[in-house]
Amino acid sequence: MKNTRTTPNFTRLRSRTVGGRVAWVLALGWCATSLAAEDRTLSFNDEVVPILSENCYACHGPDPGMRKADLRLDRREFAVMPHEDSGPAILPGEPDRSPLVHRIESTDEDERMPPLEAHKSLTSDEIALLRRWIKEGAEYQEHWAFIAPERPPLPAVARDDWAENPIDRFVLERLEREGLSPSPPADRRALLRRVTLDLTGLPPTPEELEAFGRDELSDAYERRVNDLLSRASYGEHRARYWLDAARYADTHGLHTDKFRSVWPFRDYVIKAFNENKPFDQFVREQIAGDLYLVEDVDQIVATAFVRLGIANSESGTIEEEQSTILLTERTKAFSGVFLGMTTGCAACHDHKFDPTTQKDFYQLGAFFNNLDEFFHTGQRPDWPPTIVVPPDENRDAYQAVLAQRAVVQRQLEERRAQAQSLIADWIRTGPAPAHTISPKALQLRLRLDEGKGSVLSNSAPGAEISSIVVDGGPPEWGEDTWLWPSFRMSEKSRVRFPGAIGDVGADEAFSISTWLQPRANALAEIRPPLGTIVAKVDATHGSRGWGLYYNSVNKPKASDEVANPDGEEATEPTPEVEKLTSHGKLMLRLVGDTVDEAIIVQTRDIVLTREVPRWSHVVATYDGSRTAAGVRLYVDGVAQELEIVADRLSGEIRTPVPMQLSAEEGETNRLLSTRFQDFRFYQRELTGEEAKHLPRAELVGEILAQDPAEWSEDQFKWVSDYYFAEHDEPTLRAKDRLAVFDVELDALAKGGVVTLVSKESPRLAYAQVLDRGVYSQRIERVRPSVPHFLPPLSPDAPRNRRGLAEWVVRADNPLTARVTVNRWWQQLFGMGLVETTNDFGLVGARPSNRPLLDWLAVDFRESGWDVKRFYKQLVMSATYRQSARITPELLERDPDNRLLARGPRFRMDAEMVRDAALAASGLLVTKIGGPSAKPYQPAGLWEALTYPESDAFKPDKYVRADGDGLYRRSVYTFTKRQALIPNMEILDQPNRDESCTRRPRANTPLQALVLMNDPQWLEAARRLAERVMVHADSPVARLELLGELVVSRPWTARERAVFTESLQKYQTLYADDEAAAVELIEHGESEPSPALAATELAPWMLVASTALNLDETLNK
Amino acid sequence: MSASEPSHLCSDHGGHRASVADLPIPAALREKWQRLETRRHFLGRAGKVLGGAALASLVGDRVMAAAARPGSAPAFSHVPHFAPRAKRCIYLFMAGGPPQLDMWDYKPGLAALFDRDIPSSVLGEQALTGMTAGQTRFPIAPSPWKFAQQGRSGRWVSELLPWTGKVVDEMAVIHSMNTDAINHEPAELLMCTGDMNPGKPAIGSWLAYGLGSVNRNLPTFVVLNSKLVQGVPSFPVTPRLWSSGFLSSEYAGVAFRSEGSPVLYLDDPAGMKREARKELVDSVNALNRMTAAEVGDPETNARISQYEMAFRMQTAVPELTDLSDEPASTWELYGDEARDPGSFAYNCLLSRRMAERGVRFTQINQRGWDLHGGAEKFTPMICAASDRGCYALITDLKRRGLLDETLVVWGGEFGRTTYCQGLLTKEKFGRDHHPRSFTTWMAGGGVKPGISYGETDAYSYNVVRDPVQVRDFNATILHLLGVDHERLTFKFQGLDQKLTGVVSAKVVQGLLA
Repeated sequence: MKNTRTTPNFTRLRSRTVGGRVAWVLALGWCATSLAAEDRTLSFNDEVVPILSENCYACHGPDPGMRKADLRLDRREFAVMPHEDSGPAILPGEPDRSPLVHRIESTDEDERMPPLEAHKSLTSDEIALLRRWIKEGAEYQEHWAFIAPERPPLPAVARDDWAENPIDRFVLERLEREGLSPSPPADRRALLRRVTLDLTGLPPTPEELEAFGRDELSDAYERRVNDLLSRASYGEHRARYWLDAARYADTHGLHTDKFRSVWPFRDYVIKAFNENKPFDQFVREQIAGDLYLVEDVDQIVATAFVRLGIANSESGTIEEEQSTILLTERTKAFSGVFLGMTTGCAACHDHKFDPTTQKDFYQLGAFFNNLDEFFHTGQRPDWPPTIVVPPDENRDAYQAVLAQRAVVQRQLEERRAQAQSLIADWIRTGPAPAHTISPKALQLRLRLDEGKGSVLSNSAPGAEISSIVVDGGPPEWGEDTWLWPSFRMSEKSRVRFPGAIGDVGADEAFSISTWLQPRANALAEIRPPLGTIVAKVDATHGSRGWGLYYNSVNKPKASDEVANPDGEEATEPTPEVEKLTSHGKLMLRLVGDTVDEAIIVQTRDIVLTREVPRWSHVVATYDGSRTAAGVRLYVDGVAQELEIVADRLSGEIRTPVPMQLSAEEGETNRLLSTRFQDFRFYQRELTGEEAKHLPRAELVGEILAQDPAEWSEDQFKWVSDYYFAEHDEPTLRAKDRLAVFDVELDALAKGGVVTLVSKESPRLAYAQVLDRGVYSQRIERVRPSVPHFLPPLSPDAPRNRRGLAEWVVRADNPLTARVTVNRWWQQLFGMGLVETTNDFGLVGARPSNRPLLDWLAVDFRESGWDVKRFYKQLVMSATYRQSARITPELLERDPDNRLLARGPRFRMDAEMVRDAALAASGLLVTKIGGPSAKPYQPAGLWEALTYPESDAFKPDKYVRADGDGLYRRSVYTFTKRQALIPNMEILDQPNRDESCTRRPRANTPLQALVLMNDPQWLEAARRLAERVMVHADSPVARLELLGELVVSRPWTARERAVFTESLQKYQTLYADDEAAAVELIEHGESEPSPALAATELAPWMLVASTALNLDETLNK
Repeated sequence: MSASEPSHLCSDHGGHRASVADLPIPAALREKWQRLETRRHFLGRAGKVLGGAALASLVGDRVMAAAARPGSAPAFSHVPHFAPRAKRCIYLFMAGGPPQLDMWDYKPGLAALFDRDIPSSVLGEQALTGMTAGQTRFPIAPSPWKFAQQGRSGRWVSELLPWTGKVVDEMAVIHSMNTDAINHEPAELLMCTGDMNPGKPAIGSWLAYGLGSVNRNLPTFVVLNSKLVQGVPSFPVTPRLWSSGFLSSEYAGVAFRSEGSPVLYLDDPAGMKREARKELVDSVNALNRMTAAEVGDPETNARISQYEMAFRMQTAVPELTDLSDEPASTWELYGDEARDPGSFAYNCLLSRRMAERGVRFTQINQRGWDLHGGAEKFTPMICAASDRGCYALITDLKRRGLLDETLVVWGGEFGRTTYCQGLLTKEKFGRDHHPRSFTTWMAGGGVKPGISYGETDAYSYNVVRDPVQVRDFNATILHLLGVDHERLTFKFQGLDQKLTGVVSAKVVQGLLA
């Protein structure tokens, strides 16, 4: 057989690896000699590439479209190669003779590089560096990030008593090279505040501060850290960052931006961090949990990751465009999250700077191009595919059934893994599928595998008409793959069959057989419900003739059957628009002299769907008896129960109008865009046996007639699908058992929550390379693969998301571990070791400390991807525990703290700012998980985004939570992509349209207005005031507690003086104005304490508000 | 700011670069900024390391960055790149896609072709939306409205625009607009951010980033979302149209609201006495100054000035939206409808007040142009709701001597089809989305007045002369404001990103005065 096929391995998804723990304490002994700067050879990656990529690669880099003068400088073989009209740009060892040096040093504006219009220029230092590099031989290196990291030796440092762990050695070595010293350790309270906020997203309580202050044992800090890592708030906090990267939100994002039920994914992420799920397992589950043995429902919930991106529901949506948009979105998100690569550019052209080609992009995209889904969200909360997560009380039982089911699933997979030998045996020993259908009376057979052009060939033996020309515009080829790349008529094209084809009388038998895929139609709900598959009808003579139709009917959608799809909003009615007419019955109609003279027979059941792009095989036969009893309809080889709508045919059905595919002559057609394959017309009645074998057996017979060594991957799949579905007894038995488990699982899931997931379609995955990214400009069909410049997929890896997931976490993947540890470093230190957390490509930032990055990456992977251990290592380092004070010298030398000569200090993210205020005031509700919460937001914001005039798109209303829902952690806040809660947006919360791995940190007046005026903060201030007032009577004691709660320390005397003075002013202002005081303290849903006089409480509330607005409060 | 001295606030300081000393701000604050300016050496370094936007956020203020320019090299140190023709822009964005052939693109020959199929040679091969793709016929629906010549330029204008027709001599009308997007959201994003995909900064954000603020008490980029026109179906406009994308959120458009406080969270909460608010800001800043001294983080200083600005905004914004000082002539011009907050006319008036106060970019979004079905009924309604505001704004700016330095832009995200969507009768018709040709206009600062630019075929279907792509249109807007679209860039995802994207764009020279 031609292609190497995959032999899936049956390792469970769950990683059992715990080995590889290298005790870093031992590693401390290692050391390296660092070379003095003058002695060493320049590092191409660290010193030369930054200059070349910034100044030269745009025109002399990997992108042929942009390349000037046919010169490439990004690869050595091109840079040192002679040119048409000159020698090579670089003569290794000879800078003075190298044209590149001449050009960058030239004073002639026409000569000098980079050219004037590039608005770039090289400094003399940069020119000197390039000269030196050429002098040293102009050696190139693979881009650093594409070489798998190795654990570097620990560097020698002068002050080795400072280091607490290996991190510190790397940091200190760099500082010593710069002639800098680390800062002194942070004050204990400041440290506890920092680590508590970093590990849990919440500030320490006064009790914790006090206890930590008293704990003088040497491991006091480590015990604190261990405690923090064990709290549920740890997972909530970690999850929030992951949800930014994963682009999680509660709405679809585009157009009407409706609710999407996917919050179980959010809870899955929280749980994964809290259970310290090994990171490699976390990755596998999200990319491909559905393609492993399913032992845990969480595995499926996790696959929502693929589908979290924005998606459209606009009526004008063009299906193929949408599908391309989804492919692109998912590929970009995947690349950003796991590879730290910006691949999106390559959707339209080869990446300008990175080696990612357009083909790389679509090969990667092909992994995500094979979901069993409809590309239009249909404005549904349960945009399929979905599962129902069982209610908590059924969860154990559900998991138990899953475990049993997994045993059978494993047997099936093991069996399937032997496909090659089993099929070889089957071919050798038979019985082969001797089901060749006799070509007798076969008048027309359009395989529709031409793949291009407008001429369709008729392969019926001895056919009079051997080809048919498509009129009105060329058909679309290759948008999908079934038996072969698909055929679809465009909206304007027509296929009319000349002459005698399909020309039958009422007394003559005939049969139609075809594979078809009713194309999903965004407007199914407002189009007339009938579509033509094939017909020979004369509309001018009372519809005389015959036709096969798709008869759409309403079917309740899954969410109607699922309780509580929208969690809190279960009481709201389901919008009417969600009732898609995407399902249909098959119908054959024969009409005689008038429309009343007809036979109309249709299937009793709904047998076709447009809800997902699904291929079905249909056969219709008529025996020429002029009775409805003479009609048979088969779907996928199975005879259907029939309904007789009319049974009175007299006169003649024969008409001179030609038979037409997909339309009646002259008809406004709804199924023009249906895809067809292997369309046949017989002038005889096919038997039930023939109808049964037409879809697959005969096709497989045709494949078996060829040499197996010549089979394509698709052909092998067809043969094996058929073999296992029809002939392999163990598989058939196992499938029966699976079906039983599935019924049990469905029953146990009743009453649960529906959530979006990934589900692989039965086809092989393909994508099309698209010219300039335009959906209709297909250039080349590709199978899934990984970018060519990274380690290839293992030969035995399946070409699906599971193969991709395994590749992502493989030890030789140079990016995953680095990208991950870098992002987590950024969470704690404010900036990644590579500043561009989403771009590890050629123009991404250089790592500020590459040995440290590599050490962390390797250590993390070798620890068994132990996440808690990783964070612990960071917060245990002396680097992390430094004071954050910035001396003028440090500000001058290192304003961004890239060298880490001081501890981290930066404004907290929106959610942390809010959660800290809730925690300090005692309002915080610590409930974990569940439907998203809707806290305070100004009125009217959602309503402004709706179609108020349209019944079809009923306005979404923001139904604010009561009570607890107002005070839950921000990770649970409902994320509507088109309208974030503005207070969070103003504090730079991203809208999750795209993966976000690095938030901006703006500092704006609107932030001040939020913190001073938003009811959430006013209420927090009032509750905070009540808390300190209840605690003590004296202003001093009250202020002290306020300090502990808000900035984790008592105020200094000078600070206290400011508060005291303000307090007195407020007391004076409100003493005579009780009404104002009452108004002030009544902000927020919670009742003010009746024990406190409004005129007393209001001034304290303002003092508390002051505290909540402080720079120190907002910073960690 | 004092309402009695608006003249100080309404210019860009005679074309000089804004400097701290010029600003109408409290003396104490001015001194503080000048102190900050002495840290220029540091800022210069930071500018190089961080790029312009980060520098600005570091000191919390774009004017600061402008003041720090000489001698330092932030990314946008050459902005404006050349003398601007306009100092500010008012963008009247007609969300939904106005029907060019019922308003501006006069095609008298179509009347005779009523209900005839549009020739397939005209229709061509382009993809249609899912809404009309299934139609077997594409019958011509001529505009049922009369056109007449207006102004000295003799421009043909539809009877639906009796007011705007009076000021056509101020306008350059572009008939040859075309876009790549066929659905609303991608097409609107393309018009407003230069890219069909979300995540890119709006034009106003680019200008705020590149040119900075003039009035320190008001946002640089303001968005006014007009109310729905009663009875006209309207789809939403999303905040993505005024998002700052990958630029810092300080450059995002601030959407003023027509009900309640114009700026979210602006008003002091009930029960907050003004003196208490002042005390709160003062004490927060006093405490923050201690922190700044103790910790040494420049961000703390930035926060101090942001609290001061927030406090000033609390006065400046209500002053802006308080129309009680408008003379009777204003109401004669804009009509009584302008008294209704949130109406298009009201927003036009507000945009003039903002122009006077130096707001750099005002975008008024008017929804209601998505006229698929019932075009015969809805087109006059939405035209009537927006016609007078356009006229009044241009006239008002001109009377006040502001039109020469204010660029006014009008347009939607695409046009509408000549062929009918749905059933065509003498009484009823509909029009689908039409990306291949549509009409926009510009007026004011630097625009050649009284001209037409570009041309469509006899069916108002395809552009036959001087096509203007969305990116060319946007490049032209930037050009008029003194910005070279090739050079106003921001490094993001490894690319020097710009408003006009990666495909080369050109300034439409024919539109320039």
